[in-house]
Amino acid sequence: MKNNGTHKLKKGFLGVFMNLILWIFSLSCIFPIIWMFYSSLKEKRVFNADIIGLPSEPTLLNYTRILSNPDYHLGASIWNSARTTLLSIAMIVAFSFIVGYILSRVRFKLNRVLYVMFLMGMLIPIHSLLVPIYIVFQKCGISNQWFTLLLPYVSFGLPMGIFLVEGFVKTVPVDLEEAAAIDGSSFSHTLWTIIFPICRPILVTVAIIQVFSCWNEFSFALVLLKDVGLQTVPLALTQFKGQFASDYPKQMAAMLITMAPILVLYFAFSKQIINGMVAGAVKG
Amino acid sequence: MHMLNAIRPKNRTIIAYLAIPVVMFVFTVFVPLVTALVYSFFEWKGGPVKTFNGLSNYIQLFQDGTFWEAFGHNIYLVIACIIGQVGIAFVLVMMVNSKLVFCKTIHRTFGFFPSTIAAVCIGLIWNMIYHNKYGILNWFLEAIGRKDLCQVWLNNSDIVMLLVTIPLIWQYIGYYMVIILSAIASISTDIFESSEIDGANGFQKAVYITLPLIKNTMLVCITLCIAGNMKAFDNIYVMTKGGPGTSSMVMAMYGYQVSFGQSNMGYGSCISVGIFVLSLLVIGGSQMLINYVTREKEAA
Amino acid sequence: MNKRQALSAVLATAMVASLGVTASAATPVAATELAYTGELELMHYSTLEESQGNGGSDGFRTVLAAWQEAHPDITLNENVLANAEYKTQIQTLASANDLPDVFLLQGMNTKAWAEQGLIMDLTDTIAASPYYADYNQAYFTPFKTADGKIYGYPVLTGGTCTVVIYDKAMWKDAGFDAFPATWADVETAAAYFGEQGIDTIAFGNGGQWQANSDFLSTLGNRYTGPEWFQSLIDKAGAKFTDEAFVKALTEMQRLFTQTTIFNEDFNAVTNEDAREYYISGDAAAFIGGNWDWSYIYATLKESDPDKFANMGIAVLPQPADADKAPNSQNIGLGYAVAFNSNLAEDPDKLAAAIDLAQEITGPAFASYVAENYALGGLTKVADVDLSAFDQQTVDFYNWSYVDTETCEIYDSYINSAVWSILNTDMQSMMNGELDPATVAANAQAAYEENY
Repeated sequence: MKNNGTHKLKKGFLGVFMNLILWIFSLSCIFPIIWMFYSSLKEKRVFNADIIGLPSEPTLLNYTRILSNPDYHLGASIWNSARTTLLSIAMIVAFSFIVGYILSRVRFKLNRVLYVMFLMGMLIPIHSLLVPIYIVFQKCGISNQWFTLLLPYVSFGLPMGIFLVEGFVKTVPVDLEEAAAIDGSSFSHTLWTIIFPICRPILVTVAIIQVFSCWNEFSFALVLLKDVGLQTVPLALTQFKGQFASDYPKQMAAMLITMAPILVLYFAFSKQIINGMVAGAVKG
Repeated sequence: MHMLNAIRPKNRTIIAYLAIPVVMFVFTVFVPLVTALVYSFFEWKGGPVKTFNGLSNYIQLFQDGTFWEAFGHNIYLVIACIIGQVGIAFVLVMMVNSKLVFCKTIHRTFGFFPSTIAAVCIGLIWNMIYHNKYGILNWFLEAIGRKDLCQVWLNNSDIVMLLVTIPLIWQYIGYYMVIILSAIASISTDIFESSEIDGANGFQKAVYITLPLIKNTMLVCITLCIAGNMKAFDNIYVMTKGGPGTSSMVMAMYGYQVSFGQSNMGYGSCISVGIFVLSLLVIGGSQMLINYVTREKEAA
Repeated sequence: MNKRQALSAVLATAMVASLGVTASAATPVAATELAYTGELELMHYSTLEESQGNGGSDGFRTVLAAWQEAHPDITLNENVLANAEYKTQIQTLASANDLPDVFLLQGMNTKAWAEQGLIMDLTDTIAASPYYADYNQAYFTPFKTADGKIYGYPVLTGGTCTVVIYDKAMWKDAGFDAFPATWADVETAAAYFGEQGIDTIAFGNGGQWQANSDFLSTLGNRYTGPEWFQSLIDKAGAKFTDEAFVKALTEMQRLFTQTTIFNEDFNAVTNEDAREYYISGDAAAFIGGNWDWSYIYATLKESDPDKFANMGIAVLPQPADADKAPNSQNIGLGYAVAFNSNLAEDPDKLAAAIDLAQEITGPAFASYVAENYALGGLTKVADVDLSAFDQQTVDFYNWSYVDTETCEIYDSYINSAVWSILNTDMQSMMNGELDPATVAANAQAAYEENY
C-alpha cells in the first residue's frame, strides 16, 4: 500500500497548504476592521506618530466625544441611512429577481435590447456624471427629498442584480416551470412560489453586496441632498474632517459606530446568510 | 433555455412586471447620460453659460494624451483584476469547498469584509504597507537582507499601477467569492463532490468539471469585473491622486478632475461619454472573445 | 483635484485653554434692525471639527451664532460640509445655476462666476460698509475682476502658506545660529545632516497642491517679483514661459532632484506625514503652511517641551540666481462671503445678507480671533494685546503680519484649470521626469485656453 501512503501524505500536505492560504487570506481581510478598532482607541497624535502599533494607553475619548455631541447628528443620519438602505435593498432584490428571471426565460422582442440596456447601466462613470444627474433631478423637483436617493441606489444597483439572477436562472432546469404549468399554476404563482425560493441563494448574495454599497455610498448623497436633516451616514462623517488635518482615529471611531448596525447583523446572521447562499442546491 | 411558448406569459403580464424597474432605470441612468451627451458639444466652464462648440471637445479628447494614458491604465486594471479578482476568487472558493479545509464559515464570512470598508481606510492601510520609512514592505526587504530593493514605492512611476492594483484585487476577491459560492450552490451535490479538491489532480477536476457548470456566473463575474474597473476611482484616488504626475491616472479620475478640479463641465461630460463608449467597446470585445474561445473548446 | 487654499490660520484650541485665556464671549454683533423675516440660505465649511483646531472657523461659528441670536426672525438655513466636499457641491450648484443665497467664494472662481452672472457685484455695498475704513484693502484682490469690481467680503483669517519651521538646537549643531538665508547654506547643512542620517527639510507633496501653495508661490516671487504675477492676473503680457518663472521652476527641480535636502518620499507623502518627520526629529526642518505650524506648535507643546522651546520660524531661503524680495512669504484670504445674484430681487433679504456678511467679517470677528488666537482677518483691530500669548505665538504673529514682506498665493487667482495642470506636471518635474520648460509651456497653454 505504498502508493496509498504517498497519496495520503500528499493529501495531508495539500490540506495544510490550503488551510494556511485561506487563513492568511481571511486574516488579512479581517485585519482592517481590527486595525480600525484599536486605532479608534488612540488619540490623534499617538496615531499620527505610529499608525500601525497597538495603543499603549487605550482611551474611549473618541467615542465619548462623538456620542456626546449633538452637532454630529449621527442618530438622524443613521436613521436616514437605514431607511434608504432598507427600501433600496427591498426594491433591488424584487426588481432584480423579476427582470432577471424574465430576461432569462421569456422570449419577447425587446429582450436583448433590455439586456444590453441594463448592461450599459454598469458602465456609467458616475463620478463625472454627477452634475448632469443633479441638473436632471433639480429640474424635475426631486432632489433633496427623503426618497431622492432611492432612485440612483436602486437604478445603479439593479444591473448587477439582474445579471446575477439572469445567470443563475439559466442554471435552473426549465422542467420545473413546465411541470408547474401543467399542474395549472399561473405565471405569477410559479414565479413567487417556485422560482423565488430557488433563487434565494443568489438573492441573498445580491442583498449582501448591495447593503454595504448603499450604506457606504457617498457621491450621490453629497450632490443630491442639501438639507442637513436628510444626510446619510457617510455625509455626516465628513463633519469629522478638517480642511488641513484629519483626525483619523476619530473618523474611525465614527465609522465603526455607524457600521456597527450592519456589522452586528452580518455577524449575527452570518450562518443563516451563508446557508442561504450555499444551501439552495437544486437537483438537476 | 427559454421556456416553451405554450407556458409563456401574456405580453400584458410581462409589461406589468417590467414597467416600474425599466422606467425608473431609464429615468435615472439614461436621462443624465443623454444630458451629458448634449453638454459634451458645449463649452461649459461650470456656470449657467454654455456655448455650442460642435465637435471640438471630441477633437480635444482624441488628442488628449492624459486621457489615453488613463485608458491604458484602465485596460491594465481590467486584465489584472480578471486574473486577480475572479481567478483567485475561483481558486479560493474551490479550496473552501474542499473536505480538507476546516472553519469554512469563517473563510466564507471574512473574505467579504474588505469590500465593505470605505476606500479611505483601505487607502490608509496600504499606504502604510508601502511607506518607505515605516512600511511593512521595506521592513520585510530589510529583514531578508535586500535593503537595496527598498524604495519610495508609490513614487516610482514605473510600478505605481501595479502597486495600486494589488489593494484593489485584494479588496474585491471576497466580492467574487460570494457570487461564485452561490453559483456553486446551484450545482447538484453529486456532481460537485466528484469535483472536490481532495488530491493531486483536484484542481484539474475543478477546472474541467466545476468551471463549465458555472460558466454563466463566471461570465457575469468577468463582465462585472470589466465594468467595475473601467470606472475605477476611489482607491486610487485615496492612495496616489493619480500621481506621481499622471502615472496612476484612470479615466474616471481624469473626468472628475476635469469637471470639478478644472471646472470644465463641457469637456468633463465629453470624457464621461468617452468612458462610456470605450467601456462598451471593451465589454463587447471581451464577450466576443469569450464566445469565440469557448466555441473553439466545445468544438474540439 | 482642487488644491486646497491657504486660508485660515489654525491654532489649536488646546493652546487657548492651556494659556489660561478663556475664550471670551463674542463681541456682540451690531444689532441692526432688519425688515426681512424668513429663511436665508447659507453654505460654508466651518464644521464643528474644523472649529476645534482653527481660530478662523471658531470665530466664524461664534459670530454666526451671535448674529442668529440677534435676529431671531430670520431662519438661517445652514448647509455645512467639510472643505473638500464643500468645493464639490458648490461647483455642482454653480453649474446648475442653483447657488445658495450666501456662500463662500473661492478666489480663483471669481472671474468665471462673475462673467456668468452667478455672483452679485458688491463694490458699492462694500464701500458703504460701516467698517470700510478698517478693511485691509489688500485682501480684496482675489475677489476683484479686471474692471475693479469686488464680489465678496474676504472671510476667516489670513495666514502664511510658506513658512520654514526649524529646530534651533539641531541647526546650531550644524553650525547655524539661525536658519540659513540662502539655499547654498542649506546644502552645506544637508551634508552635515546627511551624515547623521536625518533629513534636512521635510516636505510633503502627495496631494500635488502643496508644491504650488507652499513652495513655488513664494519661490517664484523671488525670481519674478510681484509685478509679473499681477500682470499674469490682469492678462497684461506676462507668461508662464517667461525666463524668470522658468528659472524658478528650474531651481525647484534642482533642489528636489539634485540635492539631498528633502526627504526622499516628498512626492508620496502629504504635508501631514512630512510634519511628523519633523516632530519625531527625523528631519531638522519642515516647510508648510500656517496650519502645519499650528499642528506642530500644539503637538510639541504637549509632548516635547525641549523641542518646543527650540521651535524657530524663517522665510524660504533665497536661491543664488534670484534677485527679488528675499524676505517674502505668501499670505492672504482665499475665500470671501459672496451672494447669489438673484438676491437683488428681494431688497429686504439682500439687506439681511449684507448685514450678515459685514458682521461675520467685521470687528466682532476680528477682535474675537485676535484676543483668542492672535490672528487677523479682513477688519483691522487696533493694538492687539499679545501679552497673554507665549513667545512662539507672538513670534509667529509678528513674522506673519509685521516683519515680512508679503506676496500672493498663486492659486487664489486665475483659475483651477491652470493650477490643476501645473500641479500635476510639477510633481513629475520634481521626480526629474519632465523638464521645467515643458511644464511652463503646458501651464501657458492651459492659461491661454482657459483664462
